Amino acid sequence: MKRATTEQLRTFFASLQTEFDVYVPVKLHDGTRVLGSLSEGPLALEGGKIPQKPTSVFFPQFDKVFVVDEQSKFQMAGPVAKPIMVVGFTAQDLDCLEFIDKFFSENYRDDIYFNKRDGSVVVGVSGRCGKDGEFMKIAGGKCDIELIYDGERFVVQAYTDKGRQLSERLVAPDSEAPAGLMDALSRESDALPTDDEDTIDKASDLIRAGKVPEDFWDDIASRCIACTSCNLACPTCTCFEVYDRKQNGKMVRQRIWDSCQLDGFMREASGHNPSGRQMQRTHRRIHHKLAADVERWGHKTCMVCGRCDDVCPTEIGMKSVCKMIVERFS
Amino acid sequence: MSVITKPLRRETEHLYLPIPCKIVSVRDLTPMEKLFRIQMPDGQELGHKPGQFIQLSILGYGEAPISVASSPTRRGYFELGVRNAGTLTGALHHLSEGDEVGIRGPFGTFFDVEKLAGKDLLLISGGCGLAPMRSLIQYCQDRPEEFGKITILYGAKTPSERLFKEDLVDWARSPAFACKYAVDCVPGDGCFDEGEIGLITVLIPPLKIDVQKTIAVIVGPPVMYKFVIAELKKKGMTEEQIIVSLERYMKCGVGKCGHCAIEHLYCCLDGPVFWLNQISGLRGAI
Amino acid sequence: MRRTLTTCPYCGTGCQFYLVTNGEGKLVGVEPSSNHVVSKGQLCVKGWNAFNFANHPDRLTVPLVRKNGNLVEASWDEALDLIATRLKEVQDAHGNDSVAFFSSAKTTNEENYVMMKLARAVFKTNNVDHCARLCHSSTVAGLAATFGSGAMTNSISCVEKADCILVTGSNTTEQHPLIGTRIINAVKGGAKLIVADNRKIRLANFADMHIRWENGTDVAFLNGLMHVIIKEGLADEEFIRTRTEGFDKLKEVVEEFTPERTAEICKITPVEVEKAARMFAGAERAMIIYSMGITQHTHGVDNVKSCANLAMLTGNVGKEGTGVNPLRGQNNVQGACDLGALPNVYSGYQKVTDDGVRAKFEKAWGVQDLPGNVGLTVTTAINAAADGTLKALYVMGENPMMSDPDQHHVRDALEKLDFLVVQDIFPTPTTKLADVVLPAACFAEKDGTFTSTERRVQRVRKACDPPGQARQDWEILADLARRMGYDGLTYSSPKEIMDEITRVTPIYGGMQYDRIDQVGLQWPCPNRDHPGTPVLHVGKFARGLGLFSPAEYRPSAELPDDEYPFVLSTGRCYFHFHTGTMTRRSRLLDREERFPYVEVHPDDAKRLNIHDRFPVMVSTRRGEVKALARVSDIVIPGHLFMTFHFEEGAANVLTNNALDPVAKIPEYKVCAAQIRGV
Ligand SMILES: Cc1cc2nc3c(=O)[nH]c(=O)nc-3n(C[C@H](O)[C@H](O)[C@H](O)COP(=O)(O)OP(=O)(O)OC[C@H]3O[C@@H](n4cnc5c(N)ncnc54)[C@H](O)[C@@H]3O)c2cc1C
Ligand code: FES
Repeated sequence: MKRATTEQLRTFFASLQTEFDVYVPVKLHDGTRVLGSLSEGPLALEGGKIPQKPTSVFFPQFDKVFVVDEQSKFQMAGPVAKPIMVVGFTAQDLDCLEFIDKFFSENYRDDIYFNKRDGSVVVGVSGRCGKDGEFMKIAGGKCDIELIYDGERFVVQAYTDKGRQLSERLVAPDSEAPAGLMDALSRESDALPTDDEDTIDKASDLIRAGKVPEDFWDDIASRCIACTSCNLACPTCTCFEVYDRKQNGKMVRQRIWDSCQLDGFMREASGHNPSGRQMQRTHRRIHHKLAADVERWGHKTCMVCGRCDDVCPTEIGMKSVCKMIVERFS
Repeated sequence: MSVITKPLRRETEHLYLPIPCKIVSVRDLTPMEKLFRIQMPDGQELGHKPGQFIQLSILGYGEAPISVASSPTRRGYFELGVRNAGTLTGALHHLSEGDEVGIRGPFGTFFDVEKLAGKDLLLISGGCGLAPMRSLIQYCQDRPEEFGKITILYGAKTPSERLFKEDLVDWARSPAFACKYAVDCVPGDGCFDEGEIGLITVLIPPLKIDVQKTIAVIVGPPVMYKFVIAELKKKGMTEEQIIVSLERYMKCGVGKCGHCAIEHLYCCLDGPVFWLNQISGLRGAI
Repeated sequence: MRRTLTTCPYCGTGCQFYLVTNGEGKLVGVEPSSNHVVSKGQLCVKGWNAFNFANHPDRLTVPLVRKNGNLVEASWDEALDLIATRLKEVQDAHGNDSVAFFSSAKTTNEENYVMMKLARAVFKTNNVDHCARLCHSSTVAGLAATFGSGAMTNSISCVEKADCILVTGSNTTEQHPLIGTRIINAVKGGAKLIVADNRKIRLANFADMHIRWENGTDVAFLNGLMHVIIKEGLADEEFIRTRTEGFDKLKEVVEEFTPERTAEICKITPVEVEKAARMFAGAERAMIIYSMGITQHTHGVDNVKSCANLAMLTGNVGKEGTGVNPLRGQNNVQGACDLGALPNVYSGYQKVTDDGVRAKFEKAWGVQDLPGNVGLTVTTAINAAADGTLKALYVMGENPMMSDPDQHHVRDALEKLDFLVVQDIFPTPTTKLADVVLPAACFAEKDGTFTSTERRVQRVRKACDPPGQARQDWEILADLARRMGYDGLTYSSPKEIMDEITRVTPIYGGMQYDRIDQVGLQWPCPNRDHPGTPVLHVGKFARGLGLFSPAEYRPSAELPDDEYPFVLSTGRCYFHFHTGTMTRRSRLLDREERFPYVEVHPDDAKRLNIHDRFPVMVSTRRGEVKALARVSDIVIPGHLFMTFHFEEGAANVLTNNALDPVAKIPEYKVCAAQIRGV
């Protein structure tokens, strides 16, 4: 198994740019880390999860559904010209990706999503490169390649044929991982505390058992200013709004990320609104991931990535709310 | 329980691409509602079942779910009864014969006529709810032999706001149906001699129904369901015998955009037609 | 894909984010900046959607010139030559002051500087003002008189350091969402919160006291608090002695405002007055946050002074977690004031009436005879147009038809003008009346700086090209100056403009672009070595000693009567911004609030047979407007609230053009109205 330095990886990713549209964690102007191209800033594999949801590479904030040109001809986007390669999924992010792959393919296949997703290469990042040096859980699969940081270099683990073929092209001389390194890293990963996951599980059970009273949701809802950040940061949130716009003689049907925290999200033309109260919307945000999706998909769809907690300006993200639920209603 | 319905229609390459269809006729139903008769290209059939909806597009104005108001047994066209409620529907009301609209679908669950076979049907609709119900009524009209006794109840705010007035008369005359109509009120010095004055719920207590053999179908404005269901329960009907069709804000019609979710169910995929026992415990469903 | 760090174009909080541009050069999204001092990776719903209006097909893309009554497309040369000729003709015929310029709190600091320089150096008039007149002119006047500097005294980060926060006339969670959330967090962390506002705003849910006084009785309430504080010996005597002057006069004036009298005027209880006074004065660090509920009154300056008095009385100025903190409504209203888009000052609040200051600018700009008279304000300019003394008006990025009080009056005034130029990004009710319409670039299409409410000067960066032939505002103005024969307004970039600003503006002396590249600095920042000033008046007030400026209670100009029995107040909602030109063209924001609405209390609604979401007619002596009723206990009985975002239900048809005598701010917050179902 190879190990590579950040610089070797940078060279590797750069060499793939002719074949792939490569997205890697980069540090921007003011230090914000995003998934961008190598030209946007220095490669920043270390520092933990990317604040922005990595699934946005396949399901961006704004996308075209189709264009109708001046001659009234429909133009639907096909598969992207260059396949996408994304580096930077954490173990939790990969769980999210697995779910939205399922979500976008079951029943009806969302071709707009799969135009980007099909043929893509997904690279996970884990090991000792979390925020402030914390250990990030090793995914052990669900991606083509995983880069596991041992504190000095990234162990390159390929899980798919495509991943193996690509990683063979990574140039990293004399870098064979010493015997036992992966075992040690795996043990470290397995020993990570699971407090947050446990809290979410417990909260999920309490909600499903009907142990959370209505006034709790009222209380949480009073702190929601409907900024929509929780939804827009969540890798398993897939809701979108569709609208038409004319542009230079063309008509573009477009979709943008939507949020169930908005009053207009379910408001019908008649004015009837099944989620017309803040409390109903707050309830939905938590209940959907922890109870409704369990019913529908057989599992929770909060993978405990923590992004909604990071972006919520009033501290009512998933983890905070679940903590309150467990404290009050266990 | 995981309720996932399989798509009825073969997956097309592009999920969101509408098929251009021609409007072959437009008829006023009320000052607010018009009936559009539409043909698929190249003589195709829409291939829907009663109770399903389509996504209707007018380029530049958007897309909205509209129930098919005609039965698949009427071949060569399908009909949409549409209220002018906003941007898209307003634009539609400006179109006329020969104009094009985009269609995706049909989508959603339907009134399962196979499961209804041999049953007495109690078809209850209010206001605009008659549009989707009409697809089932027409089906029953064309294949009365498949069902038992068929009763149609319809309520509207005022006589002039009633949809499909000619159909209502026609059905009332038909031996296949027993029809009972109501209006909430009669404004000014108008009169209403086709039925009762009062909410639709007044039509239910006098009905004689064979509780074991009856299936009730309800389509109407959101406020209607609770009261009608309560009346039916008083008659001894259970949630397993009641079908409802619900309306939700829908953007995609195919279970992706998330707007229509009722807890774990998507109204566009798992509905709009539900057995009442599927949804009765769910928050915000009724 | 490209990402560009820039500053939000909506409120004055000054959040920064990255605009995402796709391969075609179109904006496709927003990503928060995780490291920004204020936004910390968070945004409100307007910020998240700030990319969505830029590509809207309604954008103005070519200059338009009125010919035979119609606006028709023209070349830039034709449009600008026409403007130069016509403005010159007007000035030749009617004097320099027959022309006025409205600058814009939506444009950059550099553009405001260029606009005021154009007005003064080229057109030799001080008739330059902008919409701060309509929001915080009373702050600028009131705080300048008491403290010597008319801006937020503290920083946004101080909110979380306060022990008691008095929020009055600010619906903070809706108008400055991320500041509002800091208040919520402060309360969760143990701070006391007093909300003095008669609407049941979200913050009221968290308040230790929610005081629902009668609109327009602010001075009485604040005087009442001070009465109790003095009487009960809760004042900070040390601070009063060492840092202030005029205390005796204050004592005398507030003497009469016993809790009983105050309660009677404000229609609250004496206990509320006493309790609030003790809560505020008892806190180690107490902070006042206010906004348009304080300023937009005929006694707006008095309101502001009373807030300043209260802060001085309790020693809550000049340290962290305290202060008098007016929240500025627009992204760059602070900057537009700082850069001298005001009729009485040059950039950095240097007075036009001061000979020395004028001489300095004459030298710096290479001109002579800069005018020394104070010019017209936005509100008085409209009045001057109406009475025929103002002949031509150049409006940059403002929509006075919808933002100014008494729309019929504004329409009459603008129609009377010989020549009206409007430079904007979208067609508005104001562009409809213009003789020339110039297409401008929006925030995403230009470089420059905005100054946030906490006086932080931050970079704005170009993320995409303007549509069609639209140009950046400063380029247009500079081009016009050249056509007027002045070459002192030729710049290669906004950076060069900022370099000039730093030379002539002491408070911006150290604001060079390289210094504010990642994190903006807070003025005063007099030189390159200065770290900026998070808290004003530390140790010493800008004017030396703080001046207690007591005010007597004066009722609002128009009070309810039998014919118009309701008090109508106007403001904004969370999803829209001002006259709605941007937010109503952003899909999600537009979907949230699509129709003009009026809030009415359930008791009133019941009595008048008004139903929720049904249309009603709201009327005042100025006119009537149709809106949908929103029956809600957000308002108290007898009060109505409307937003001014909607052209089709313009609240400013109704509002009263009564002005504060000092600041000339109109009384948007109180007028007498009637409501009926339709
Ligand atoms: C499964 C299903 C089946 C349906 N079947 C039918 C059907 O058979 N027939 C039918 O008519 N509808 C049907 N609907 C409802 C229909 O989808 C909505 O009426 C439609 O989405 C409205 O879209 P719009 O773009 O016209 O309205 P929008 O523009 O989205 O309007 C929404 C709101 O804005 C208001 N509004 C918008 N523009 C204006 C304006 N200019 N003036 C005043 N108010 C305005 C409307 O009153 C409404 O409150 C169905 C819905 C569902 C979910
Ligand atoms: S309409 Fe989009 S999910 Fe149902």
